[in-house]
Amino acid sequence: MKNRDFTFWLFLTPVILGLSLVVVIPFIYGLFYSFTDWNGIKATTFLGFENYIKLFQDEEFRAALWFTIKFSVASVILLNILGLILALLVTRKLKSSNFLRTIFFMPNLIGGLILGFIWQFIFVSVFDDIGTALGIEALSGWLSTTNTGFWGLVILTCWQMAGYIMIIYIAYLQNIPNELIEASQIDGASSWQRFRNITFPLVAPAFTISMFLTLSTSFKIYDQNLSLTNGGPYNSTQMVAMEIVKTAFNENQMAFAQAKGVIFFLIVAVIAITQVYYNKKREVDM
Amino acid sequence: MKGIKFLSKTAAALAVSGALLAGCATTDNGDDGTNAGSGDEVTVDVFQFKVEFKDQFESLVEKYEEENPGVNINVKTVGGGNDYAASLKSAFSSGDEPDIFNIGGPSEIDDYRDSLADLSDTKAAEAALEGTLAGVTDGDEILGLPFNQEGYGLLYNKAIFEEAGINADEITTYEDLQSAVETLDSKKGELGIEAPFALAAKETWVLGNHLSNAFLAPEFDQSLLNAYNSDTVSFEKGDEMKRFLDLQNEYSVQPTNSLDYSQQVEELFSLGKVAMIQQGNWVYNTVYEMDPELAENNVGIIPIPVEGFEGKIPVGVPNNWMVNKNSDEDVVEASKDFLDWMYTSETGKQMVLEEFKFIPAYEGYDTSKIADPISQEIYEYASEGNTLGWVFMGTPVAWNEEVVGINMQKYISGEMTWDELEQDAINKWEESRQ
Repeated sequence: MKNRDFTFWLFLTPVILGLSLVVVIPFIYGLFYSFTDWNGIKATTFLGFENYIKLFQDEEFRAALWFTIKFSVASVILLNILGLILALLVTRKLKSSNFLRTIFFMPNLIGGLILGFIWQFIFVSVFDDIGTALGIEALSGWLSTTNTGFWGLVILTCWQMAGYIMIIYIAYLQNIPNELIEASQIDGASSWQRFRNITFPLVAPAFTISMFLTLSTSFKIYDQNLSLTNGGPYNSTQMVAMEIVKTAFNENQMAFAQAKGVIFFLIVAVIAITQVYYNKKREVDM
Repeated sequence: MKGIKFLSKTAAALAVSGALLAGCATTDNGDDGTNAGSGDEVTVDVFQFKVEFKDQFESLVEKYEEENPGVNINVKTVGGGNDYAASLKSAFSSGDEPDIFNIGGPSEIDDYRDSLADLSDTKAAEAALEGTLAGVTDGDEILGLPFNQEGYGLLYNKAIFEEAGINADEITTYEDLQSAVETLDSKKGELGIEAPFALAAKETWVLGNHLSNAFLAPEFDQSLLNAYNSDTVSFEKGDEMKRFLDLQNEYSVQPTNSLDYSQQVEELFSLGKVAMIQQGNWVYNTVYEMDPELAENNVGIIPIPVEGFEGKIPVGVPNNWMVNKNSDEDVVEASKDFLDWMYTSETGKQMVLEEFKFIPAYEGYDTSKIADPISQEIYEYASEGNTLGWVFMGTPVAWNEEVVGINMQKYISGEMTWDELEQDAINKWEESRQ
């Protein structure tokens, strides 16, 4: 507490000011507007919880929420498996391991919007050409049905984020003491037993981090969704963020969209807080 | 020593917060400039959405400023569609209101009604072609001036039609179209096309706005205001709409639900892989970039066959110029004068035709100079009065795209029957008009 004098607060002022101007104050405004009939220009009536009640009866919002949950579950599982496999691959003593790390991480540096368009081309044109050439029908007509749209999104997200998750796993894999591995080798453990009983328990904390990270990211996805499927066909691959934007700007129901935004915020906040809570707990344990 | 340290810390902190606040302060300056109106200088802030003609528009503004030294025009352009609507709203709610801005249809006019000046005394309003002011007239007042006209129908590749031995001029009824499509389909191999049509069903505006409009317009007597004031919709020509959608979908490159605008226009139509697409004059530049020869000589337009309205093309005004009533009087006058100059002076007219490449919505233009043949053809239909209205500008907000468009996608996927589609669309319309 010693250093929390006048200068402490003075130095904090720019940040606090900035944060309140662009985050806190707009957030409070938004919260207020979600209880009114705000149309983007003016609010005339105070509606109380009407927007919130309407929101839970809104089929489209519920469908989008359900789709987002399904998408998140699928991508969290696949991302972590993929990230761990990639990490195991590049932590072996391969000559090309540094090169591979860079390559695997690279998709993460491309913007989601561009990625979406690239993959749209792959799914719609390249898949179709390969399918026609090899006579595999399942490769034709991607993104034109709900299922292919769903898996298209999952594949895109995995391809983009797996490298990032890989980095987290690498950090933990490299912290595994060599003595343990050597001891198990002397005891005659097979490589599967080593992975099962030594590596896996020791990288478990990384799993917690990655899980929440991937969970909150998949929940908030918008740009990939926009450029890959744009919700199509018939809005069935539309995620929550996109549904909110549509309600606000296409349907011009600003206050209603704001209420959806608040609910969305609560969901993401719960996920994020749980993550912080678990991470803190683990830090104490170690 | 301690005092000096403290002072320098304070100074540093203040400098940083000062810099932060300076960023906020500069945004206000523009506003002050407008409202001051002191001396002879008048500043007009224009906030417009058409990114495609930003450069040409700015050079037009420069010419105007040369001719009128006392007027200073600031142009701000924000990207099309939703971004523009959102930015315009924030401009208004933050008090930094523009003097000239753009509005599409009656529902937006309602939102901004208190800010819209009456433009009925302008020369441009007088020169506006019949019907182009329908969406912006409120009683005696004319609240906006049309940008231009646009029209759509079935664009066809003349070379392919000729090779298949089809005369497009003879296609007027649905039956004519159907037999032409069947001929094209049977000669697919010889003609080197993948299918007669490319239906961009991924774009809800292609289905919900344009396709449905041709068959909804008659029930509202071609008037978007009738549509805007109607409590319900009845799909009088629903069966015709259905069979026209079926025809396009069945004879299109598959799967249509993932076919988007760029595939439709660039990949398929411009490269001659399909014979027809349902689009309008706005595709000209894109086709031109892919194949100038095709764009200049080989694209024609067939009217969408609607029983009782054969040979008519839906033509409408996509956007309007509005003047802010709450600006200073001399700014309002200057704004009106600028809009007049743009659409009625010789320099302005020339720019509108040759640089903007617009289909003019005003009289007194040398229409032989309309830049591209598709626009030329549409203008001919319009000047002969062979038009259908653009009623989708007057339907409930997002009804066309989010209800009709989405339901048509469901119908194409087999998730919804046509009767369900109509019923749901009618219910949603009535709900939002309660």
